Amino acid sequence: MEHSLGYNLGMLVGVLAGALVGVGIIALLFKLKVMDLTFDERQERARGQAYKYGFWTLLTCLLLYGFSDMVLGRWCDVLAGAMLCVAAALIVFGSVCIVKDAYLSLKEKPRTVMTLLAVVSVLNLAIGAMNWKNGRVFRDGILTYSAANGICGAITLTILVVYVVNYLLDKQEAGE
Amino acid sequence: MKNLRLKSARAALDMNQQQLADAVGVSRQTINAIEKGDYNPTIKLCIAICKTLDKTLDELFWE
Repeated sequence: MEHSLGYNLGMLVGVLAGALVGVGIIALLFKLKVMDLTFDERQERARGQAYKYGFWTLLTCLLLYGFSDMVLGRWCDVLAGAMLCVAAALIVFGSVCIVKDAYLSLKEKPRTVMTLLAVVSVLNLAIGAMNWKNGRVFRDGILTYSAANGICGAITLTILVVYVVNYLLDKQEAGE
Repeated sequence: MKNLRLKSARAALDMNQQQLADAVGVSRQTINAIEKGDYNPTIKLCIAICKTLDKTLDELFWE
């Protein structure tokens, strides 16, 4: 379904305004010291490695997506394809950080982060399921950007699972 | 290679890994990694650990 230029511009302005408000809120939280993402030297190094793996995953996925579009024809719209590539990169980055004990900053509490991840996963997966039920995820056999919530839910759920497993293993090791 | 001298110096002061980590401003996992020999700390962190445990660099980190 094609939208008018006005609709698309409105969408773009809406997304940009939302992003601006989001950045403003995050900046305020940092200023008020509610958010404090301080990592120690080992964590900084581990996160650097994780960024590297995430970056290469993103490049590989973008190439694969472009190649699949060329070979198989259009199977998803561009925004959904980009989201899938970003999802893969984020999962790799998050998982490497978790395995190297560098996901949480020094001030963050594991239970708070696990709860936050669980809430974000449930909300996004619920919206994703609603979109699926209403037939908005696939249109004419093509994956649409309405899959974004489902993809976000899958990212946070995967990171949560990796985090919980690592947390339990770490707790077991600390107890020994 | 495991750093048993660090572990014993910490234990001698009756500190657990979390307490030492809080005192030097790193995560517990970082202290654990140093003790297990999985992470090579910077000189800045070595000095902070030595000051907290009242030891010299030679006593804790020189092989």
